[in-house]
Amino acid sequence: MGETNISLVLTAEIALPIHTIRQFQMDPASGNLVVITQCESLGCNLPFDVASMDTVIALSEIENFREQWFVEFARVLKPSGKLMLHKQATSLEQEEASLNLVRQLLTSGFIEVEASDLNCSNQSVTIKGTKASWTVGSSYPLKNKKTRSVNILPNIPINEESDIIDEDSLLTVEDLAKPQLPIVGDCEVGKARKACKNCTCGRAEAEAKAEAEEGKLQKLDLTQDQINNPRSACGSCGLGDAFRCGGCPYRGLPPFTLGEKVAFSGNMLVTDI
Amino acid sequence: MEGKKKRLLVLYASQTGNAMDAAERVGRESEHGGCPSVEVLSMDHFDPNSLPSESTVVFVVSTTGQGDPPDSMKVFWRFLLRRNLGSSWLEELHYAVFGLGDSGYQKYNFAAKKLDKRLQDLGARSVIEKGLGDDQHPSGYEGALDPWLMSLWKTLNHINPTLLPEMSEILHPTMRKLEHPKFKIVYHASTEATQHDSQISDLKDVKNMIERARSMSPSLHGHDHGEPHYLLKMVENEQLTKGDDGRNVRQFVLEALASVVEYQVGDVLDVLPGQNSASVDAFIKRCKLDPDSYITIEPWSGEKDSLDEYVNGSSDHPIQLRTFISRAMDIASASPRRYFFEVMSYYASAEHEKEKLQYFASPEGRDDLYQYNQKEHRTVLEILEDFPSVELPFEWLVQLVPPLKKRSFSISSSPLTHPNQVHLTVSVVSSVTPFKRNRYGLCSSWLAGLDPKKDGEVLVPSWIQRGTLPIPHPMVPLILIGPGTGCAPFKAFIEERAMQNLVEPTAPILFFFGCRTRDTDFLYKDFWLAHSSDGVLSEKKGSGFYVAFSREQERKVYVQHKIREESARVWRLLDGGAAIYLAGSSTKMPADVTEALEEVVAKENGVTRESAARWLKTLEKAGRFNIETWS
Repeated sequence: MGETNISLVLTAEIALPIHTIRQFQMDPASGNLVVITQCESLGCNLPFDVASMDTVIALSEIENFREQWFVEFARVLKPSGKLMLHKQATSLEQEEASLNLVRQLLTSGFIEVEASDLNCSNQSVTIKGTKASWTVGSSYPLKNKKTRSVNILPNIPINEESDIIDEDSLLTVEDLAKPQLPIVGDCEVGKARKACKNCTCGRAEAEAKAEAEEGKLQKLDLTQDQINNPRSACGSCGLGDAFRCGGCPYRGLPPFTLGEKVAFSGNMLVTDI
Repeated sequence: MEGKKKRLLVLYASQTGNAMDAAERVGRESEHGGCPSVEVLSMDHFDPNSLPSESTVVFVVSTTGQGDPPDSMKVFWRFLLRRNLGSSWLEELHYAVFGLGDSGYQKYNFAAKKLDKRLQDLGARSVIEKGLGDDQHPSGYEGALDPWLMSLWKTLNHINPTLLPEMSEILHPTMRKLEHPKFKIVYHASTEATQHDSQISDLKDVKNMIERARSMSPSLHGHDHGEPHYLLKMVENEQLTKGDDGRNVRQFVLEALASVVEYQVGDVLDVLPGQNSASVDAFIKRCKLDPDSYITIEPWSGEKDSLDEYVNGSSDHPIQLRTFISRAMDIASASPRRYFFEVMSYYASAEHEKEKLQYFASPEGRDDLYQYNQKEHRTVLEILEDFPSVELPFEWLVQLVPPLKKRSFSISSSPLTHPNQVHLTVSVVSSVTPFKRNRYGLCSSWLAGLDPKKDGEVLVPSWIQRGTLPIPHPMVPLILIGPGTGCAPFKAFIEERAMQNLVEPTAPILFFFGCRTRDTDFLYKDFWLAHSSDGVLSEKKGSGFYVAFSREQERKVYVQHKIREESARVWRLLDGGAAIYLAGSSTKMPADVTEALEEVVAKENGVTRESAARWLKTLEKAGRFNIETWS
């Protein structure tokens, strides 16, 4: 494809007079021009692919020229692409506005940044910059902390119904202190402590391990003979889990009749017999 | 007080059923004391807007391990926290709070403590000091509940003697006898209407029958959203995971037969599972019921007039007993509560069974009951088989057998990409109990067992419900975090944005996915890779796709590590107005991810973690940080 020179013009205003475009030596009829008005509504996201623009011109009323915008300009500009900013400023503000913009462009990775001569009669400043000719990586420099205002993080508006109080303010100093465990007698070991269903502190694993240990020590593996011809010294093995003791080899099985082969339901895990 | 309800309301928030047990006990005791009108409700079935119209409320709330309130309390609690309610909103309300917690945790009973303070700040008057049940106590929470209840009744009786006219029954119970079941079963003779039922095959009639069966169930009354919206046919049932570690994540594709399924991304599909026919038959046989009889279920009013409003529209059209059991009673999956064992003990004719059941129902037997019942996921059918001498009348079964619940699944398709189809990404639940019994999730394994190739196959009764994730606007950048099956709603979001991108500019997406290895459980790998090389997830659209493979290297790598790696990009999108969406399993992941996000915000802006955390909370309030998790 041939060398198509695409330019993007951005303004926060509602409409842009053609003579403004001509002013920047662009031909509105050339077909290589994209104009976006009311650009604030885009919220700092330009709907263009990376490195798709040769030139970007950003005009005055975009008040804050937030860092975000420069990042977007840099993204859509081709390497060595040109950026021009044009901002209204009274003669009193011109110097400061100019310095600020130059500094912002520099810290956003633009090179060959220069302010055009301050023109008091124009009531405006114009800054030019070029995107580096090498491809920039995806990291961006941190903001210059010295220029920060007090409210560092962006403000988020919320409606009245969503405005809720901070629930931690409902707790007293006493509540926040470590709770007292109830006094448990010496003989009541461990059993009272239980892990919650979705335990994340490790208690559940510890409990499971303890149970497995207990099971290993006490529970004997089931032999084939025990299944075919179940016997029970205590008499309770056939009654079901509710009546079996902790070490019962038949634990986990459905109830059965002594002397008859134990019927497994489909959902049993039995170790190799 | 004009317009104030003169009843006792017991509101509970239960995670594992204990608070519900305790709340029902509070209700039962008040009835022993002659309370003319009492209702026991879960907080997610009560509209907090109507709190000021109550006169007396008892709150029973559990605190989970992280110090959080149970899921069923989240919406209610958020409402109470509103700044604009004012300090006299609950001026006329008498209340009492009982909390269930565990003093082994730093955040002991936090949900109950915060609730108590907030109610006071809103102007309500506490009848007695809050009661704090403690799992660490030898008798568990009953250790605190017993004396607290006694004190509650005495004080309430002072304030309002009409509330408990038979107070003496509580103080000195005459005989510990079983109360009467709350419902009666009316058997109907076979008529033309019932003959018609046995030949139901028309879709419309099936939906109607399901609604009738479920609206008759007292445990479900009023909370079940009527007829299924659709009876869907499964057209695809495919396993997505490979390898032999036993995990089975499947994609189900469902279609409507006689209508068009209407839904939006972010919606969930509520499914009513079918129950195994053999289990239903076994239950009917064990309980000596007549499956073909036709019944209606009506409240039992006994000597006194019941002031409660009740089960709606049921008395007109009788339903077949078998249908009622199979559609409304969970007999082979959910575990019943402690009260079930208590009632069983009255109906056991064998002495050793009676003793064991009484033991299980007592405070001393709590731990052993927990071991036998909850930890083993014991089903109603299994329990009845373990206690063969117990003959429970059907009235009690209706009241006590856990209701068959619908299960919710995030929809993983966009209607723009798959018109008239609903895609689900489901992990088939399976676990092994301490006694080495295999347990499977009722709904996930039922769905996994449906074969699309069989004609005249079973249909899936379904409802479309709005999920908790707000629909993203095409021009809002997205940060999506969805490891494992958490990717389901985001597949829908990405499908939708891809379609939107064909006709309008759309904002970038950063998607963080996580799984164990690329060969076993990299769900939808081709889909994500296609979009990330040349679609809405691609670099050239300003987007990004990142995968954390937790088991492909020595140390575990999760989505939160990837988020930290991409700190600058994440912040840039956030600063530009992005919304964060987080979905997946609810154990540690949400907390870990939130922590990583706080670190990103703090680092990129040079602020403290506390400031970053506060900022993220504001983001949440503004609807730009949305979390949907499931266990």
